[in-house]
Amino acid sequence: MSKFKKNEGKSAPAINTSSLPDIVFMLLFFFMVATTTKDIDPMVRINNATGVGLTDLTPYKQRSEVDFVYLGKPIVGDASKFDKGVAVQYDGILGNIDKIDEWKSDKYSQKPKGFATPKEKVVTCFKVDEQVPVGILFDAKKELQNADFNTIAYHAAERGNNNGYSIDNN
Amino acid sequence: MSKREIPEINAGSMADIAFLLLIFFLVTTTMDKDAGYLRQIPKKLDIEMEKPPKVEEKNIYEIKINDRQEMFVRDSILPVEEIDNLHRRIKHFFLANRGKGAGERKLNYPYYANITKAVIDGGLAQVNAEIERIEAEMERDPSDYWGQYYELQMNKLSEWEKKQRAFDLYSESGATIMPEIAREAHIRIVPQIGTDYSAFIAIQSEIQRAITEMRDEESMKLFNIKFSTMEKFYEQNKNEDMPTILPLYKERIELLKILFPEKIIEVAPKN
Repeated sequence: MSKFKKNEGKSAPAINTSSLPDIVFMLLFFFMVATTTKDIDPMVRINNATGVGLTDLTPYKQRSEVDFVYLGKPIVGDASKFDKGVAVQYDGILGNIDKIDEWKSDKYSQKPKGFATPKEKVVTCFKVDEQVPVGILFDAKKELQNADFNTIAYHAAERGNNNGYSIDNN
Repeated sequence: MSKREIPEINAGSMADIAFLLLIFFLVTTTMDKDAGYLRQIPKKLDIEMEKPPKVEEKNIYEIKINDRQEMFVRDSILPVEEIDNLHRRIKHFFLANRGKGAGERKLNYPYYANITKAVIDGGLAQVNAEIERIEAEMERDPSDYWGQYYELQMNKLSEWEKKQRAFDLYSESGATIMPEIAREAHIRIVPQIGTDYSAFIAIQSEIQRAITEMRDEESMKLFNIKFSTMEKFYEQNKNEDMPTILPLYKERIELLKILFPEKIIEVAPKN
């Protein structure tokens, strides 16, 4: 006579999964709120520089007052094909920095009807890899100045409270 | 007719549908926020300037950085590990002579002008007289000769009016003197071609930090609300219909920008 009965023939009761959709929906809504849509796939490798006191560019994005340009080493292909080994990504095309004024003018003429922001207020945001020399940015600024696009933004990621700046000094 | 029982809808696949949506959003979106430092490029000049205008040494806060990320700030070397202190030094540059009388001023920091009601009234009267004179001249001589000069004076007028609004707001708390930093006082970044972007951004970050902290502190003193809070609110709700709060915030922001101007010159590196 044993105290423990073998429950042969009886399977474990099914787990109630009726709250699973609720959990998944909760996750779904979290991601919908916390993320933004990706507009293009990066073709250059970018490690963000870090800083504090950044201006959030989301309101500018909503009013389509900001254009992004990406600078860094190309993910595929040979970096030496580009000036100083830095490829510049204009939307879907890689090129050199001297094309920036043509690209900006093109973008500006394609803005939707009723877009009233003047040329000099449309932001050009530079998303730049932390290792890129700044000389190339000043070339870009010169081109933009000649084409009357006077507002720029240097993209950076928010710096954590305890880490320092990501400067590689050697 | 007898009542038929409505069969329960099987919700077992609801989880699958939600999962599918979740995965779709995971793939097509990114987490990283777009943020950065907004800067202005000066307008291009039609005429070639022979010599840049001379600015007194005490009004320049110069940050030099070379292609090995070694910094020389004003009159001393700043080791990379200590770049976190740069904002304190910038704040000191701005605040050293603030609210000081003529006798106790430090000579190698920018001077402050004491703006009073009389100064603003005087300035406005002078500009208005000048505009009247030009208008009279333009009537006599309709050629384009006076046009540019007229525009210049109109700009001056709007600047004085802006200053007047700022002073009115500032003196609401009972102050009669508004300290205004020298016009030429600015921060100058002198990089080299090979300077890393990360180091350049670190400097921009410290400058932004210094200016925002100063504005925040002053704003807390005057209005008991942070400048950055007001600016963020204003930028996000710019196009909304809030007839009381938006103009108020705008005036306050303008005042704080006059008190602590963000004047940064980025010197293009030479070859």
